Amino acid sequence: MIAAPLIIATQTVVNEQDVVTPFEQTLLVGLVFVIMFGLGAGLTPRDFRLAIRRPWGLVIGFVTQFGIMPLLAYLLVIGVLFQLPREYALPVAIGALLMGCVPAGTTSNIFTYFSKGNLALSVIMTTNSTLWAILMTPLMLALYGGLIFDADSELQIPVLNIVVTLATLLIPVVAGMILRKYSANIGAVMELLGGFFGLFFIVFLMATWVPRNWALLTSTPWQTYLVAIGLGLFGIAIAYGIARAIKLHPMNARTIGLETGIQNGPLAIAIVLLTFSGSPDIGLILIVPALYSLFIVIVSTVVTFWFRRANTAEEQKIPNLL
Amino acid sequence: MTDRPWLAHYPAGVEHELVALPFSTLPELVARACGEYADQIAFTQCMPNGMNGSLTYAQVDELSSAFAAYLREELGLAHGARVAVQMPNCLAYPVVTFGVLKAGCVLVNTNPLYTAREMIHQFSDSGAEVLVIIDMFADRLPEVTKATGISRVVTVRIAEFFPPVIAGIIRLVQKWWNRSLPSIDVEHTPFTEAIRRGREAHSASADYLAGVGADSLAALQYTGGTTGVSKGAMLTHGNLVSNTLQMLQMLGGHIRAGQEVVLTALPLYHIFAFTVNLIGFFHMGARNILVPSPRPPSNLKRAFENYRITWTTGVNTLFNALLNERWFVESPPKHLVGSAAGGMALHQSVAERWREVTGTPIVEGYGLTETSPVLTFNPLGGLVKDGTIGIPVPSTDIRCLTESGTEAAVGEPGELVARGPQVMSGYWQRPDETAESIVDGWFRTGDIAERDADGYFTIVDRKKDMVLVSGFNVFPNEVEEHIAAMPGVLEVGVVGLPDEKTGESVRAYIVPIDPKPTAEQVIAHCRDGLAAYKVPKSVRFVDELPKSPIGKILRRELRAEAVTSATATIETQGRELS
Repeated sequence: MIAAPLIIATQTVVNEQDVVTPFEQTLLVGLVFVIMFGLGAGLTPRDFRLAIRRPWGLVIGFVTQFGIMPLLAYLLVIGVLFQLPREYALPVAIGALLMGCVPAGTTSNIFTYFSKGNLALSVIMTTNSTLWAILMTPLMLALYGGLIFDADSELQIPVLNIVVTLATLLIPVVAGMILRKYSANIGAVMELLGGFFGLFFIVFLMATWVPRNWALLTSTPWQTYLVAIGLGLFGIAIAYGIARAIKLHPMNARTIGLETGIQNGPLAIAIVLLTFSGSPDIGLILIVPALYSLFIVIVSTVVTFWFRRANTAEEQKIPNLL
Repeated sequence: MTDRPWLAHYPAGVEHELVALPFSTLPELVARACGEYADQIAFTQCMPNGMNGSLTYAQVDELSSAFAAYLREELGLAHGARVAVQMPNCLAYPVVTFGVLKAGCVLVNTNPLYTAREMIHQFSDSGAEVLVIIDMFADRLPEVTKATGISRVVTVRIAEFFPPVIAGIIRLVQKWWNRSLPSIDVEHTPFTEAIRRGREAHSASADYLAGVGADSLAALQYTGGTTGVSKGAMLTHGNLVSNTLQMLQMLGGHIRAGQEVVLTALPLYHIFAFTVNLIGFFHMGARNILVPSPRPPSNLKRAFENYRITWTTGVNTLFNALLNERWFVESPPKHLVGSAAGGMALHQSVAERWREVTGTPIVEGYGLTETSPVLTFNPLGGLVKDGTIGIPVPSTDIRCLTESGTEAAVGEPGELVARGPQVMSGYWQRPDETAESIVDGWFRTGDIAERDADGYFTIVDRKKDMVLVSGFNVFPNEVEEHIAAMPGVLEVGVVGLPDEKTGESVRAYIVPIDPKPTAEQVIAHCRDGLAAYKVPKSVRFVDELPKSPIGKILRRELRAEAVTSATATIETQGRELS
């Protein structure tokens, strides 16, 4: 079981050009900018005041987002991924850790809507975690990265680069907020485009990236798949379980589950592209963020169906209040 | 009969009689406002996602004149011809209605959600020749135009007068995402085309208003009335101008000329928003924020975020819905000055909570379609009595009549009758019903009310909604108000059902929220504050209550539902929830 991936890892020479073409790279980063811009265009200072005034939503979102997910990613890395040879597992682990440490994705809002969750809570949690990400994502990466990589190891997580990347990606969020203040029309259009591109991103991945990297995907060991899929699935399950255990309204528990498990995949990919550009390991680093982005759509869809069925008996009507 | 004890409670500086009208027709009122506030924004339409378009007073003036010219010159309509207008709140609405009035024609406001059957009745009854309709609902046209005298259809798009790119996006979404644009299978003129032709035909010397005065018909406003057959209340220019000024006079300086931003979430085709928001606030130079649909209430979020709303009008259901929205409660509008409630009884619990959350007054008024509509309201800046409909507006007399036709004593219930310049001239082509409803110049409202010593009126209930339990009168309003104050009750509707033992019995329909009460708890709560015969015999929990276009709970539908099937629940009507 261990021998096969070893061969793959040594035989498959993956480089940046193969995995992501320069055209794709530019397009993806552009898309992430549009998505982040759209996120900002939906925000007002009022939303921040609301979040501060209702701290428990913030606290729960914070704890699940930056408590559960990075820890889960770390556990999956050491428990599953490290069954594989280190020269393969270490770069993949960077991607996996990063995937666990990025903030929530805007697609969580769509799935929350379809699973009859609390949309307002979902939006606030996404917003909160995105803003906290500039501090928490590097912090968590440094913490868990430190546990995985020796200080003198050749491969390191460039935490500072990631901070810079995140800060860069927050520019469109702020720009979106400002623009929206001056023109509600442009804001609404950007918001619409942002949501649209969020989905387009995944379709794009499926349509172009998957066939071209078919060989890579078929030769990827199951452990990597387990990490990529498990991160979303277990993330949703654990957060939902905790929310139910502390007796939150099922509607809010569903929201928190989806919000926690659904990470900002496009953001993670953009961070990899922007910080590891030129690194020979970029292909392996990208694999978990890419697989995660693909499978989270399927995982979330299944979970949404299950939520809808399991919860209809429990409640007849959803109040608008938290 | 000239005893008006309420005059003592008019706020200082408010004249007791309506001041002499500065103009006799609505077009004159419109022209004055357009001259005075020319460059200010008159209307802004705000979509649920924040997309918007605006028109200034000068633009409204120019466009409505062009539309008037189109009606008169291009279509050859005569003075007094009826033009049906059927659209939700949007920028085209004021242009079309002001255009109809400037053309000397008569406006027939029509609910856009009407079925073909209802449209046919209203258009045939009014004799409408032209229909201006929103394209989203044009699928009913072939059936309607065949059965009525409608000879010309003008279609309006929801994003009319929006910036072109935004209008294009909205149209794409409507067409390909919502699929809400049916194909239009009758000959029709797009609104922009009508405006273009109107501009060409327009001549400055044309006077379409020759012979139009205060007594001329301005609108046929259809109302169900007590019989259930929809009939047109004939509202004259004088009715509408008087009522606008009566209302504004009583509000004194609380509506600041040229400075207000009013949220118009109620449909303009309904008389409340028509007179108060469209005409009243336009006259005052306000900016009207038009919301096409206030349901779900989250549709109003962007309007509150993006505009400095200073006034809002609404019905109990709307205020209650907003108070159940987290975003509203935790970040109430900062610039709000006041709110006006009408259309249905404003629950005391809602009024108190609204004041607490927004920190601004809310005043309840009362009126009917037949009275243009405002008859009474609580004087802002004077004594406000919650639970009452306040005191009559200037130059209005109101009395409560007992069954025998004598004036009821203070505190004694009787049918509310009213007299004033805002009372309609009658029902269109229905002399019998007119004679029944207007007796010696007094309009009989069909509402049971009582007056207190200060001259404040309280509506006890609709005459026809009264429930007779073992010979005792039960007024659903009272029971609803009591149940609404219970935790876990979002909305409640109370009706009377036939009952073998007691003649009729009381049933409550409740839309619950967490913590959901049980039927037993509701009944126990009622026993704890209501006489035994008023306590509901049965309680039903439902997802939603049937409502009129402005959100009034329709008791007759609840009653019909309950009577047609004994085991009926109306849970299927919960479709709009989520």
